[in-house]
This record gives sequence, structure tokens and C-alpha cells, in this order.
Amino acid sequence: MKKVVLALTAVAGLAATGAQAQNYPTRPITMIVPFAAGGPTDVVARIVTDNMSRTLGQQIVIENVAGAGGTTGITRAAQSQPDGYTIMMGHMGTHGAAPALYPNLKYDPTKDFAPIGLAAGTPILIVAKKDFPANDLKGFLDYMKANAGKVNMAHAGVGSVSHSTGILFNSIINAKPTLVAYRGTGPALNDLMANTVDYMTDQIVNVAPQIQGGNIKAFAIATPERSPALPNVPTTKEAGLPDYQVSAWNAVFAPKGTPADIVKKLNGALVKALDDENTKKRLADLGGVIPTNAERTPESLQKLVESEVARWTPVLKAAGATAE
Amino acid sequence: MGDLVSNLSLGFGVALTLQNLGLAFLGCLVGTLIGVLPGVGPIATIAMLLPITFGLDPTGALIMLAGIYYGAQYGGSTTAILVNIPGEATSVVTALDGHEMAKQGRAGVALGIAAIGSFFAGTVATLVIAALGAPLTSLALIFGPTEYFSLMVMGLVFAVVLARGSILKAVAMILVGVLLSTVGTDLETGEERMTFGLPFLSDGIDFAVLAMGIFGIAEIMRNLDHTETRDVVRQAIGRLLPNRDDFRQSYKPVLRGTFIGAALGILPGNGAVLGPFASYTLEKKLAKDSRRFGRGAIEGVAGPESANNAGAQTSFIPLLTLGIPPNAVMALMVGAMTIHGIIPGPQVMTKNPTLFWGMIASMWVGNLMLLVINLPMIGMWVRLLKVPYRLLFPAILMFCCIGIYSINSLPTDVMFIAFFGLVGYMLIKLGFEPAPMLLGFVLGRLMEENLRRALIISRGSLETFIERPVSAGLLAVAAILLVIALLPSIRKGRDEVFTE
Amino acid sequence: MSSLHEGSGPPQRSGPVRAPQSLAGGVVLLALGALALWLTRDLDQGSLSSMGPAMLPRWLAVAVGLTGLALLVFAFTKDGETLERWNLRGPVFVIAGILAFAVTIRPFSFGTLSTPGLGLLFAGPLAILIGGYATPEVRLRDLVILALSLTPFCMILFGDLLNLPIPVFPQALTGLFPADWSQKAVLRATAAIMTAAAVLVFLATRGRRRGPIDVADHSGRI
Repeated sequence: MKKVVLALTAVAGLAATGAQAQNYPTRPITMIVPFAAGGPTDVVARIVTDNMSRTLGQQIVIENVAGAGGTTGITRAAQSQPDGYTIMMGHMGTHGAAPALYPNLKYDPTKDFAPIGLAAGTPILIVAKKDFPANDLKGFLDYMKANAGKVNMAHAGVGSVSHSTGILFNSIINAKPTLVAYRGTGPALNDLMANTVDYMTDQIVNVAPQIQGGNIKAFAIATPERSPALPNVPTTKEAGLPDYQVSAWNAVFAPKGTPADIVKKLNGALVKALDDENTKKRLADLGGVIPTNAERTPESLQKLVESEVARWTPVLKAAGATAE
Repeated sequence: MGDLVSNLSLGFGVALTLQNLGLAFLGCLVGTLIGVLPGVGPIATIAMLLPITFGLDPTGALIMLAGIYYGAQYGGSTTAILVNIPGEATSVVTALDGHEMAKQGRAGVALGIAAIGSFFAGTVATLVIAALGAPLTSLALIFGPTEYFSLMVMGLVFAVVLARGSILKAVAMILVGVLLSTVGTDLETGEERMTFGLPFLSDGIDFAVLAMGIFGIAEIMRNLDHTETRDVVRQAIGRLLPNRDDFRQSYKPVLRGTFIGAALGILPGNGAVLGPFASYTLEKKLAKDSRRFGRGAIEGVAGPESANNAGAQTSFIPLLTLGIPPNAVMALMVGAMTIHGIIPGPQVMTKNPTLFWGMIASMWVGNLMLLVINLPMIGMWVRLLKVPYRLLFPAILMFCCIGIYSINSLPTDVMFIAFFGLVGYMLIKLGFEPAPMLLGFVLGRLMEENLRRALIISRGSLETFIERPVSAGLLAVAAILLVIALLPSIRKGRDEVFTE
Repeated sequence: MSSLHEGSGPPQRSGPVRAPQSLAGGVVLLALGALALWLTRDLDQGSLSSMGPAMLPRWLAVAVGLTGLALLVFAFTKDGETLERWNLRGPVFVIAGILAFAVTIRPFSFGTLSTPGLGLLFAGPLAILIGGYATPEVRLRDLVILALSLTPFCMILFGDLLNLPIPVFPQALTGLFPADWSQKAVLRATAAIMTAAAVLVFLATRGRRRGPIDVADHSGRI
């Protein structure tokens, strides 16, 4: 038994150096999604890879490696062979907020990756309970000033999108509400609908049905343009808070050192997927924003990561939110 | 009423097409096969099998998922009964008496009554959803953090009643379970608690890992200790299906279990998890001879299994009518629906009636498939027990490893089942029972989170738990239950207080 | 972890300890409570209106300690069970089998040392072969057949039919097969070879010892 193992590991070493770039891909590609199956990032990954697999002629298999706000999966992906057969779906948390939240992070979002391209942006909305005594953002801000210390903000746990974006929102409007943590968006929304907590910020895909159903109020959407899914919700700019621009983006990365032509091939497949009508429609159904051509390049993704890290680090550190 | 009939017929029109029946069958079959892996419960099974439904049309995919869900749930009960490894919190209870029945050669009867009870509960629950789904929605909103905390306290009292031996030891185990549930990153502050700085502990201890370790692996180690109990089943296999006597003993528990499970399942925040425990507690208290419980009482399988399935079904209500997933399984269902472009919410019922009612009808079809597939399979499962233990246990070991690995793809999870196996073995040697600890573990996290939330919102006032009527009521029930549980032993005299 | 009292049977009293099992249980609970208190020493307890991360664990640790103390007291005042005999062989091999699986299923590193990721192809049989030695009744031949038949079954079920991303074999293995074979084809061929090997071993060694049961048949059905 031992001899066989040794022989096989020896062959493994040889094969790894032998086969390379130009025929890529010759076998299925693994995409590590650092969240559980069924979550927003997983859904985006599955929609996008569905089309990418067809372009590349090889199946992209999704492996969900969840844990520690997504950093477990990204750490593993960052440390894997940079041969193009392991890629990952990163997002605002893992490649933006993580360095501030996890001081012991084993990767550097700006240095340890070969960016492939942005896949989708998910707008963030400011929502409040149905009984909230204000009907627009201005009224909300006035109420917050007048009732400091009485307002509760819900969030889906330290490190979640709703937590980071909520902290950012509070720092911009200079409010210090009492934070109430939930395990995930579902229970937080439930208490928001029951008028137990006052407001929260979260991704459109989670809150849109409740806004449409009249169970909660939406004050503004933090994007430059209104969303076709919620045409009545004004943008933060329209509502008078232009500084609050934030989106929970998802993007494809490969480990650092992945050959340039493989990165190019993967980027090409991603761009093609984002031009596909069906893929576009499926992403738009979720309230996702399809990146423009300029936003789809590896270079612009690298810039996005750098600016996100620079933006989140001071905000989250000031709020004392660390998950060390 | 007319609405109900037309809605249901619309639903069955969708669910009963040949293709959808086939998908329900396939889903149920695959769900059972994966769910029967030791330690792999419905959540893990659905997460694993979610991708295979992506190629289908939305209705077909959801029907198949419903099949997978029921299959996985029944598969989990099968493992709990046959090898004493519960894959989820709710089958912990099934394992108590179900595995004892298996040891007495009545595995077939236990599996049969579980399937039949589940089918009955599923049928009732389907009707409840169809008829009352929309009106019951508001119930979910009555339950805030305060009420939840009180509900969990009541749940912990069930755990005391569950105990077979020393009550003091059971209390100790519940406390240890709650303590274990606090390991990991603190939800409110993000600080790490009791993780020894190990990254894989930062999300806390996984239920599947803990349950597989202290139940499954420890059970293997214990069996290896005693030559005389080495075979999982020494007795003749006996009847494969329940007979009239079994039915007479179990129809009332099934009815009561269905009611309890259905009621608790409607609550958001995973109230369904309490169903089987509540049902078991009730049956044990109602039984003429409560000592039979824990020694292979059929009521201890029939009631909880029905409660489990009824709750599994009615927990769809908050999801379908509000779009709020009450537990992890339902969160996965949301994911499955969004992938198909259906975002669950209050509008699904009106915007997508064929899908909505098709899904409700498919729940019943899923339950039917469960019966169709599993009754014939009982013979096969039971025959597995004939494999000599020296071959069975290495196979169980490997399946445990594969099962736990495939949940999160983390080798550290696999190592942890070994660790908890050793812990469980030690507990058995010291005369502690693992079941109250697991219940404490499951309820502990919910309890702490809701306690803190309730106190944050009330700005630190403990009176909130008594001021709110629902919460006060639940606490009162908990207190009464505790007295009832302790009374018999108190009456017997001081010395026996701690050994029921 | 060896015992205070070897052997079971009628409780044999030595000294003031009347329930050795309670004594040991109490000590374990006390230790656990102390450990939890020590681990949460740096955490903030907070106040009722904003409970800190340490509040609940600390209370619980104290409560666990108290139950431990009560058990200790009972150990001296009340007759109880003796400690059962501890068996080392079972736990040691079972744990070794599981650990072998954990470190070989995919590359795993402890500090500077790392193991190659061998996949299910090796991890599965390792778990069965090592774990199987936990019982003194072990028969290597049966374990080999079991490993050679269950592993391909799992490979086909998880890797092929269900497409789960569980590592099946070391990537290098593909090199041993014709280059134009897909991963799936290699998987199926490997599984076929293993099954054939299981049948061969079974047939070749059939005469030597009377196996009481038909191994290949049972194992295939799990």
C-alpha cells in the first residue's frame, strides 16, 4: 500500500508541471464559493458559471466552503494551485471588509489574487418597520436626531453585508442606534416586520418582496440609479444623502500567479456570460446590477478591491467591530 | 372551502403530471439515500443535492426539492433508528426509543411506524397549510425575542423530562450543552469565545459534528467494549411492519404528535425543533408506565416522528406566506427558489398560483413517495443489521467521514467527530446521557441570542419576560412542567431526588 | 485515561468513596467549568441592557461547576456505580481511522508538515482498514474486500452520479490513463478496477478460511 501511495504522489508531481496553459481547460474547474449553498453569493455564482461552463467547454463545479464570514473559503482558494482549475467568487465582505474585521486574516485582498472580473452588484436599501413615524429619508434622519438613544438597528451578524453597510450608514448620518444582532437576514426581517426593531440596511434581493408586499418601508436605494424592481424607491442622491453609495458586489478571482492567458480566457468567458440575455435576465430578477464593459476588466476589479479595503477599514475599525 | 378545493385541484393538476411525479419520486429516493448516511441530516442533504435541481423548470425543481427534503428527513430517522446516529436535532428523540427497538429486533416496526406516522402527519399538515396558511401568518409576528427566549426555556425543561437516569446528571449535561453552544464568534460583538484561537471554531461547533461524535462514534467505541452487545442487533429481526397491536398503541401518539408539531412548526425561528421533544415529553407523561420510555417504547417513536414531519411541513408557512425562512432548511429553499427567479415573499401566492399550489400539493406527493419508496426499503435497511458488527462498524466509520466531509469540505470537521467521539465515550463511562446535552446545545444558541436581543430592546429590564402575556404564559408552563418532572422523585424522599 | 477501579461487578468499597462514577463525573464537570471560566477571563461581561460575550458562558460555567460539586458530595454520601473498565483498543483505532481519513482526503498541513491530497480513493480504504482493527475479531481479508467494494461504490455515487465536489483521487492518476479520457471516465475505470480487485481477492482467498458470511454481497448494498 505504501509503495503505491509513494508512486502515485511522484506521478502527481510530474503531471502538475507537465500539462499547462494552451489547452486550458482540459478538466473541470472548481469554483470555491465561501458561503453556504443557496445564499445570494452562491446564487450569483451558479447563474454566472452556468454560462461560463458552456463557453469554456468544461464544467465549473461549485464547492461551498463556508465559515468565518467567507474568509475560510477564500483562504483555502488563495492557497490553492494557481493553475486556473481553482477559482473563487469573492464579495464585498471577503475582499473589502474582511481585513478590518479579521485582524488575523491569512490573505491580503489587494495582493494575493489574480482578479478575473466583476460578476454582479447587488444594491443596498435602507428599510424600516412599517410603523416607523417617518415616510422618507429626510423624515427618518430628523427622527433619528430627535430620538437618539431610542432607535434600534437590526443586522444579520458581525461581518454580514447588512452589518457593514449599516455601520457605514450610521457613520455617514452620524447616528448611534442600539444594534440588535440576528443570525442571518431572515430573522432580522421577521422582527422588522413585527415592528420589534426599527430599521436596517440590506441587499435588495432580501428586502424587495417585503417592500412590494407593504410589510416594511424603504427609504432609499444606495445606487446611482433606481432599480427596475422597485421603481418607487428613490436613490440616496435623490433623497438627499449622496454620500451613501454602496453595493454588495460579487466578483470572480483566481489565486495569485495564475498564468495571464488563463486569466484572459476566464475573463472572456465571464464577459460573454454577462452579455448573455438569459444570464442577464436571471441576475436582474434578483435585483442584481450587471457591470458595464469598463467594470468587467481584471484591472478595474483590482482597483475596486483596493478602494473597498480603503473605504471599509477606517469605518469598521472606528465602530470597534472586529471578529478577531 | 370552495376556494380550498379549487386551489388544491389546481395544485394537484401541477403535481400529478407524469414528469413531476417522476421528479418527486427521484427526489425522495436520492434524498433518502443521502439522508441515510450517518450524521447527514436534511440540511446537509439539501445543500448537497441542491445543484442537481438547477437544470429543471422552477416548479419541477421545487417539487423535486420537496421530495429530497422528505426523503432526507426520513433517511435521517432511519440512521437514528438503525445505528443511533441522529443527523439533526429532531431525530435525537427518535434515536432514544427507535434504536432501543432496533436492538430488540423491532427495527422494521420502528421504521414502519415512523414512515406511516410521518405520512399521516404530512397529510394533515398539507391540509393545514392549504386551509390556514394565510390566516396563520400573523402568528409568526407575535413571537419576538422575548417570547422566543421563554419558549426555549420551556424547551430546556423538556430536556429534563427526557432524561432516563439521574436528574442531576441530566441538568449538568443540559448546562454543558448550552455552554458548548456559546463557543465561537459572538454574534453581537464579533469577539471570539472559547475557541482556543482555532480558526475552525470561530463559527462555533457544528451540530452534525457534535451529534455524530457523541452519539455515533461514541456508540461504536462503546459497542466495541462489550462483546455481548457487539452486534447492533442480536435478536432475530422479527416482523418488518407494524401489526394491529402496534397501531393501537401508536395512533393516539401520532394524532397528538401531529397537532403539537404542526402548531410549533408555524412559529418562525425554528420552533419546529421543539415538536419532537414536546411530543416525547407528553407521551412519557401520559403513559401508564413511563419506565418503558428509553427502553423501546413504540409511542416514543410514533409521536415524535409525526411531530417532526408535521413541523417540517408547517414551517413552510412563514416561508410561503411571508417569505421569511424560519430555519436553515427553509433558508436553503429560499436559495433554491431565487436561483429559479422566484423570490419568496407575500406575493408568490397571488403572482404565481400554479407554483404556490403546485408546491403545496407536491408536499403531499412527496410524503406519499416517502411511503411508496420506504416501506419496501425497510426490509433492505433491516437486513443491513445482519452484517457482522466487525464489518458494519468500519463501513459506518467511513460513511461518517464522507458524510461530515461533504457538508463543509473541511477535514477539521472530520477530526472533530473523532474528538467528540472520545468525549461521548467518556460521558457514557461516567454515566452521563448525551441526549439532554444535544438539546441544550441546540436550544442554547437560540436562547442566548434571544435573551440578549430581548434585553437590548427592553434596555435591560427583566420584567419584559413577565409583562408580555405570551412570554409569561410560556414561562408558567415551563415552571409547571418542571414541578411535574421533579415531583415524583421528590415524593419518594430526598435521597432519590436525583435518580428518577 | 485509566480507571480508578478496574472491573465491574458488585461495588467494592475502598475508603470513603461510595460512588466512584459520581466522583469522576464531578471532577470532570468541575474541570470543565474552570476551563470555561479561564477561557472567558478576558471577555467583557457587560450589563443586562447590553450583555457582553462573557456573561452567559460565565454563569453557565459556574452552574456546571456547581453540579460537579453536587456530584462530588454525593460520591461520598450516597452509594453509586463503580467505574467501568476502559478499553483502549477501540477508541484508539477508531480515532486513528478517522484521522487518517481527515488528513488524506485533501491536502492538509499542520505547520510545516503537509500531507498530499489523495482523495476518496485512498482515504476511504484507510479509514476502513485502520478503523477495522478496533475490534479484536478483525480479519484483514474481509476488511480489504470491504474497502475495495465500498470505496468504488461511494466514488460512483458521490463523484459520478451526484457530482459532489468531494476529491476522488489524486490528480496524477489521470496521467495513468489515455490523455483524451475525461475525469468521469477515469473515475469509472478506477472504480471498475477496484471492484474487480475485490472480486479477485474474494475468489482467490475463498478456500483458505471459512468466512461465515458473504461479504461482497452485503457491502454492496449499504
